[in-house]
Amino acid sequence: MLFRLRYGKSSEFVLGDVMEEYTQGEQSKWWVWRQLWSVYAPSAPATPRIQGGKRMYWPLSHEIRFAARTLRRNPGFALIAILTIALGVGVNAGIFNLLNAIALRPLPVPEGGKMVAIYQIFHGRVSRSVHGAPSLFSTAEYETYRDSNHVFSGMVAYAPYLQATLGGETPREVMGAYVSCNYFDVLHEPPATGRTLVPSDCAAENAGAVVVLSDELWRGRFSGDSGIVGKTVTLNRQAFTVVGIARPDFHGTEAALESFWIPFTMEPALESNQSRGWTAFPRRSVIYENPNMSWLAVIGKLKDGESMGRARADLAAIAARIDRQYPGRTTTLAVNQANYASMPEARSIVMGAGAVILTAVAMVLMIVCANLANLLLARAAGRQKEITIRLSVGATRGQLVRQLMTESLMVALAGGILGCAAAFAASSGLLRVIMQHAPKDVPKFGLDVGPDVTVLAYSLAMTIFTGLAFGLVPALRATKMDTKTASERKNGLLRGGLVGAQVSVSMVLLIAAGLLLHALYAAQTVDPGFQTKDTLAVSFRLGNQGYDAARASSFQRQLVDRVAALPGIEAVAQARVTPLSDSHIGYAMTPSGGTQVEAVEINVVSPAYFPMLELPIVRGRNFQAGETQAAIVTQSTARRLWPGGDAIGQTLHEDDGRIFAVVGIAGDAQISHLGRSNETYVYLAPGASDQGDLQLLVHSKVNQRAAIRRVFRELDPNLAYEIAPLESNLEWWRAPLRIVGVLSGSLGGVALLLASLGIYGVAAFAVSRRVREIGIRMALGAEARSVQRLILRQSMRPVLIGAVIGIAGCAAVSKILSRILFGVSAYDPLAFAGVPILLIGIACLASHLPARRAALVDPAVALRHE
Amino acid sequence: MSREHLGEFEVIVLLALVRLGPDAYGVPIRREIEKRAGRSVTVGALYRTLDRLESKGCVSSWFGDPAPERGGRSKRYFRLEALGLQALRQTERELAAMWEGIDLKKAPHVS
Repeated sequence: MLFRLRYGKSSEFVLGDVMEEYTQGEQSKWWVWRQLWSVYAPSAPATPRIQGGKRMYWPLSHEIRFAARTLRRNPGFALIAILTIALGVGVNAGIFNLLNAIALRPLPVPEGGKMVAIYQIFHGRVSRSVHGAPSLFSTAEYETYRDSNHVFSGMVAYAPYLQATLGGETPREVMGAYVSCNYFDVLHEPPATGRTLVPSDCAAENAGAVVVLSDELWRGRFSGDSGIVGKTVTLNRQAFTVVGIARPDFHGTEAALESFWIPFTMEPALESNQSRGWTAFPRRSVIYENPNMSWLAVIGKLKDGESMGRARADLAAIAARIDRQYPGRTTTLAVNQANYASMPEARSIVMGAGAVILTAVAMVLMIVCANLANLLLARAAGRQKEITIRLSVGATRGQLVRQLMTESLMVALAGGILGCAAAFAASSGLLRVIMQHAPKDVPKFGLDVGPDVTVLAYSLAMTIFTGLAFGLVPALRATKMDTKTASERKNGLLRGGLVGAQVSVSMVLLIAAGLLLHALYAAQTVDPGFQTKDTLAVSFRLGNQGYDAARASSFQRQLVDRVAALPGIEAVAQARVTPLSDSHIGYAMTPSGGTQVEAVEINVVSPAYFPMLELPIVRGRNFQAGETQAAIVTQSTARRLWPGGDAIGQTLHEDDGRIFAVVGIAGDAQISHLGRSNETYVYLAPGASDQGDLQLLVHSKVNQRAAIRRVFRELDPNLAYEIAPLESNLEWWRAPLRIVGVLSGSLGGVALLLASLGIYGVAAFAVSRRVREIGIRMALGAEARSVQRLILRQSMRPVLIGAVIGIAGCAAVSKILSRILFGVSAYDPLAFAGVPILLIGIACLASHLPARRAALVDPAVALRHE
Repeated sequence: MSREHLGEFEVIVLLALVRLGPDAYGVPIRREIEKRAGRSVTVGALYRTLDRLESKGCVSSWFGDPAPERGGRSKRYFRLEALGLQALRQTERELAAMWEGIDLKKAPHVS
């Protein structure tokens, strides 16, 4: 026990005294605190002595002063220890801080702790349309939950990541959200100017053409025009009246910064039809009305006194009621405190990645602890004399352990505070680095990375754990009275074990980093099976720009003709989705001869698509110009849907009745997911309804961007579009790897540095303890070389044992990693052979220096050495 | 025990008990010392000393009934024991002997 409290439970009368005087009004609150401190402060008699057979302890303040004095006398040790702990704890605190900001901290709205995010997880027979993510709600479901729950004082719905074209002189894509009209009220979010949305805005479908702008958009795009309220802005060519401006620090309820909010009843009018992630809806404009369409995220605000448990029970009853309309389906709800990563799909990614990264940084901290424990063991050997004297004049082992632990806890605390201060100061910088490595069209995120109580508590726990972890074993060892040889032998074993542990942990980190970097290299150089060079992707969306099918069709025809006529253009193709982009379209289709509905990823492409990307048609034929209702399937798809039969001549029946005849089979390629070429993937010929969605692919060896821009300007000056090299689509796949690769590479580097310092330290210590022995050996005729070999052999033994254990650990880790690695086997020879060789090489080097010093020992000097 | 000497603060606390007579408890003892000696005394320091005096046998203590003005907490009463009185007398003798014939105004070697 570190502290001795004066009075335990029998302190009633003391409190009584204090209270009596306080209630008589003569004393201040400050006085009360001082009295309580005088009673309960950790204290002990002024001098430690034996009283009634019980050992007494120094007061803590005395221990701290003594420890500080000891550390000051040895500033080198203190400095190294504090800095390495700062590194270890700082990395941990920094990473946890980011994770906390993303996935643990409640939404930054008033009473954020009462906000509850609800998502649906369907089981059993599920046929559902999805816009965004499957766990979202349909309009009807939202209304049912909102009206029949008993636990929320209000419940809002919103559809985030709504990209729309803001009209003006230079049309621009902006991101906002559809929201229910109680959104701002329930969130307690007053406007800075004007008003927010009111229930009458949502009274009827397409009736409330009003918009609330973010402060940033208002200041940026509208130059802070003070008369903006009441004016009209156009979003996707639809006029919206500005009713208010939000407060400067309000950016919606997602991490991505939103710049406008419109009533969700406006969805049919705005007809946005692009979203990130898995998009699967056969008809546009049926999002809002479709009772079976996932598109709304839902947040409820708990009534006072309601608990999460009661909310779960209440909502589950409603879910069961809705399920009755869908036989064979059961719904479970994910009901959790709302934060930036509430959505189950996002949560599993964030938490999974977070767990992996936290494990990695915890490993670095373990290496730090092992290193410092080693350092302390070495130091304890130097302090053996002091400790022996203190033990023999009557100090107990407990007192000495307490003294030594005070020292290590003080060092840990100093290092922890330094590390955390640095980490928190660097948090926003780290976030910037991550954003810079993210693909360029990832939406801007606003995260509050200031540390909160959770982070501080975590960091403090981490620091104390560190102090205990590296201090306890050496303290126990140092104070144990063994015979000298026994103690030397045990200490040697312990040091060897610590080095071995360090080596194996850094091996795991390094091999993981090696695998990731190799995968990154593979991703940079991978051949996706189609041509991406010299191709531009021009993306635009006529569908939500007020174009009907006929106008869209004529626009597309003119666009293709004019661009193809530009000099140097080799080919022009159209596609609804460009290869390897982040958007995917799923259809539910039934192949002829079967009854099973298959989930199929589709793309709509023009005939020029295949030759341009050098995708071979292995059987059958390409689409013909003007052909509709035709399909080309990939080889894997043909095998899967019609096993043993010929796919050509078969048909695919879409859910809504359209029938596509299979006219050809295309070669497999990694067209949708990098690293995967065997998905169920079907190309469809463009029909009339697809014209509004087609994008343009332009193949040309010369840069004709300016000319393409001119064509767009002539055809429709108000159309927003983007031109980017097709290769930039690969960025989506490389970015996560790059972030993880950079992170694990630097962690691996830190681990390597620490481990080699540890190996060096142990070898150097071994040499310094054995100078006399080495001197005797050399005096008796041992050669310098054989002495060198002896030292090298002895310091390398734990390294080799650690390396073997490390490789076994890596085999387990790489199995997990192999799920996100492509182009690299989980047992990658390069990483598994290269890393151990590198590590053992560095270990050799680290122990070589002390070994050489051993060989230079002068026997005459060594024998006089004490 | 009779050969053990009292500390300075122990003497002050015992004298306060003599002044207050029977039925003295924490609050009056503390106030008496603050008022007379003019020094501030924390509750913690007071009880530490009283505990020590009790373990030496100089005082004894017992608990009274809970009182409402103390938030329902009881008082701990202290009484001077014979041993305490004897120790006080001895201290008085020792101090008187040491003070005998001293006039600090004429202290020779203090500048």
